[in-house]
Amino acid sequence: MKVHRVMFSIVLVAGILLVAGLGWADSAKIVRFTEAWPTYIDPAVAADFSSSVSVSNLYDTLVFPTYDGEVVPHLAESWEVSEDGLTYTFHLRKGVKFHNGEELKAEDVVFSMERLLTIGQGYSYIFKPIIDRVEAVDDYTVRFHLKKPFGPFLYALVRLYILNKDEVLAHIEPTGEYGEMGDYGKKWLLTHDAGSGPYMVKEMRLEEYLHAVRFPDYWKPFDPNAPEEFKYIGTTETATVRTLLSKRELEISDFRQPAEFYEAASKLEGVKVAKLFGGSTFFCMMHNRKPPTDDVHFRKALAYAIDYDAIANQIFPGARQAQGPVSFILPGHNPEVYQYRRDLEKAKEELAKSKYADKLDEYPVDLVWCAEVPDEEKVALLIQASAAELGIKVNVIKTPWMKIIEEVATPETTAHMYLIFVSPHYAEAGSMLQSKYHSSSCGTWEQTEWLQDPELDRMIEDAIATVDKEERFAKYRKIQEYIVELCPSLFLIDQPENYAYQDYYIDWTAAERAERGEKVNPVMGYNHYMMDIRVYPEKREELLKKK
Amino acid sequence: MRRLGYSVFVLLGLSVVVFIIARLVPGDPARAALGPRATQEAVEALRAKLHLDKPIYVQYFFWLRSVFRGDFGESLYTRRPVIEDIREFLPATLELALFAGLFMAVFGLLLGVLSARYANTWVDNVIRVLAYLGIATPAFVVAIILILLFGMYYEVFPTIGRLSPGISAPPRLTGLLTLDSLLSGNWVALVDALKHLFLPALSLSLGGLFQEARITRASMLENARRDFVAAARAYGIPERVVIAKYLFKPSIIPTVSILGLDFASLIGNAFLVELLFNWPGLSRYGINVMLRKDIEAIVAVVMVLGVVFTVVNILVDLVVAYLDPRIRLVERGE
Repeated sequence: MKVHRVMFSIVLVAGILLVAGLGWADSAKIVRFTEAWPTYIDPAVAADFSSSVSVSNLYDTLVFPTYDGEVVPHLAESWEVSEDGLTYTFHLRKGVKFHNGEELKAEDVVFSMERLLTIGQGYSYIFKPIIDRVEAVDDYTVRFHLKKPFGPFLYALVRLYILNKDEVLAHIEPTGEYGEMGDYGKKWLLTHDAGSGPYMVKEMRLEEYLHAVRFPDYWKPFDPNAPEEFKYIGTTETATVRTLLSKRELEISDFRQPAEFYEAASKLEGVKVAKLFGGSTFFCMMHNRKPPTDDVHFRKALAYAIDYDAIANQIFPGARQAQGPVSFILPGHNPEVYQYRRDLEKAKEELAKSKYADKLDEYPVDLVWCAEVPDEEKVALLIQASAAELGIKVNVIKTPWMKIIEEVATPETTAHMYLIFVSPHYAEAGSMLQSKYHSSSCGTWEQTEWLQDPELDRMIEDAIATVDKEERFAKYRKIQEYIVELCPSLFLIDQPENYAYQDYYIDWTAAERAERGEKVNPVMGYNHYMMDIRVYPEKREELLKKK
Repeated sequence: MRRLGYSVFVLLGLSVVVFIIARLVPGDPARAALGPRATQEAVEALRAKLHLDKPIYVQYFFWLRSVFRGDFGESLYTRRPVIEDIREFLPATLELALFAGLFMAVFGLLLGVLSARYANTWVDNVIRVLAYLGIATPAFVVAIILILLFGMYYEVFPTIGRLSPGISAPPRLTGLLTLDSLLSGNWVALVDALKHLFLPALSLSLGGLFQEARITRASMLENARRDFVAAARAYGIPERVVIAKYLFKPSIIPTVSILGLDFASLIGNAFLVELLFNWPGLSRYGINVMLRKDIEAIVAVVMVLGVVFTVVNILVDLVVAYLDPRIRLVERGE
């Protein structure tokens, strides 16, 4: 009898589980996307891709980045710049509400900047060197005083997310590290928002997901088909992502999947793969102070020996050969700058001019690739093979990222060459030029070249301080020519981010633009701006029924 | 009590080893946490806060002093106190491990008994083949197969998370969603949590489950040849009673020992299963903090795993002592 009772209970529980498992259908206008965890939704901490996606949807900024690399009025309706380029005065839109119903005012802008600079994380590195002080002139006027002219200031402001001062202050933990500001609300802002953006946090389960819903009192009208909610799912596991995509429980995949995934995903009915160039460039950085890569002819010989097509088409399908140090998508890129192409004859000519031409055996070159990015090994081996054609011996070394950061800190411990992806801090050529080649970035992973060229430093500083955009961009173009002539790095590829998405039932502006060959938003995170997406749940139902 | 005393020394030793290893791995934890573009002042402030500017023995002293106050420091990964992270993530892993352990115990013993009872018949052969497969297949492979099978073809069980969206979680009492749902009478959440548990627990348990089955089978067959079983049969006691009363109890002693070890290692080894099922557990958290050189969290996670391992071992010893009178007699010096 006992055995029968146990069996009956097992069958009953299994039955309940089965029946309960069949009911979950989702007909809401929701966009779900996967991305690596964690995401930080505190604007003073957020700086990586996933965090940038989150904060750009939860918070508003004074100006808003467009797809063509411009900025347009957003919270600020208008602004004036002083003659000397040191004072920016913004006139705020009236009646903008935070998610708790309070009105956004100038003092919230002041608070947000002061908080960002005090905490010193997130995007503070953009503003720290240039902001002198910020003042609220009245409730709807805010003034920024700069230490020195900074031409791309307006473009950089897309990284100043405005928080509700009162709400943050109400959630301060007194035992924090910021004096009377306690923890500056950092703990609370880990899982809550204090923004005025189009979406607001509904639920955040750490290590699982961020679920946000439309803010009904948003100052801009929503398109009727814009998502009512979005869900950031914290996984990049291929099997999981593929399953969710085929079950139509995922609208946009992350871009961290292997090539096989995208191939399989594109075969699913209604799914397409979008290739979005986000401004990231893949470099082989060469030590400009260490023999033999200290010789410009040696560096140029390598630049002419590399098979760029193989890297762009076979190792990173969909990528395109980089033209100079600035991605083609970034405003300020020089489309006329010289592009090195594989030409063994030229490579040999350059090598013959090098002072190391007769003693290559004495100068083997160490090439380091990042252990966490397996595809880099293929590039390293390809460079090794290309260099061997010139008689240059390249030692390929696999090194963990943390170790790379440590060894590039001094010129003595920096190896000859590193394979590293670099993205701009803000969407303009000046960002890349400064972080890649200005002497101030030596010792960081962004510049393992140790270029330390005073003339180049002067040119970069001058360009960045130029307020007039056309004039600034002309200077950027000259700098790119100067750098390409110096050939401090091998400019390998502009890397696209690949996303599988439900083309049948969502309209994703960024993907459509990319498909038409138009530029996508160069500011990291803004291609996932939910107000630019349309969802049609009834079409999703169609696909589910077909299955 | 003596075992408990030894355990304190083991944990202290473990803390020293893990503390040193976590700090010797290359890379600056402060820079790794704040990112390459954080200001130098912020990095230096964090280094000072973590006492990284002091010798390692001084760092250990500060750490130990904080631990005695119940403070494991702040995670550089989640940016909040490590103790809060452990409180949040440990129950998820414990719940997963408990269900996997339950599968291992119930089905492992059941299959073992069946295999022994029908030794060298087709039943035994099928179970043995399944056992080879189950033991040889890593949990993450099983997980991927189950995700593809139940996610894409038979959409019966959910494949990510602990609870479906739209289902309100029960008030947090223990952190174990099933238990909390049960205690608060939230039947919808209970069923949903059970559904979410099924696939990850099954993937995690299969290896151990078949190992338990093999050990139970071998042990039962060995004991079946013992005199006390022959005597029971000679008295004319029915076979079912012989198996249940005289053969089963002594035969599961080695199974229980192994089950205890398997259960303890489930908690540490669950990370791939947690990763695949997007399960917010301690094991996955442990791997994430290791990848980011989150030194305070690494030490805390290893210590928690060490404590779980120690406690489970003590419990196993107690259960084995209960099952095996010889151990009790030796303990009493009889």
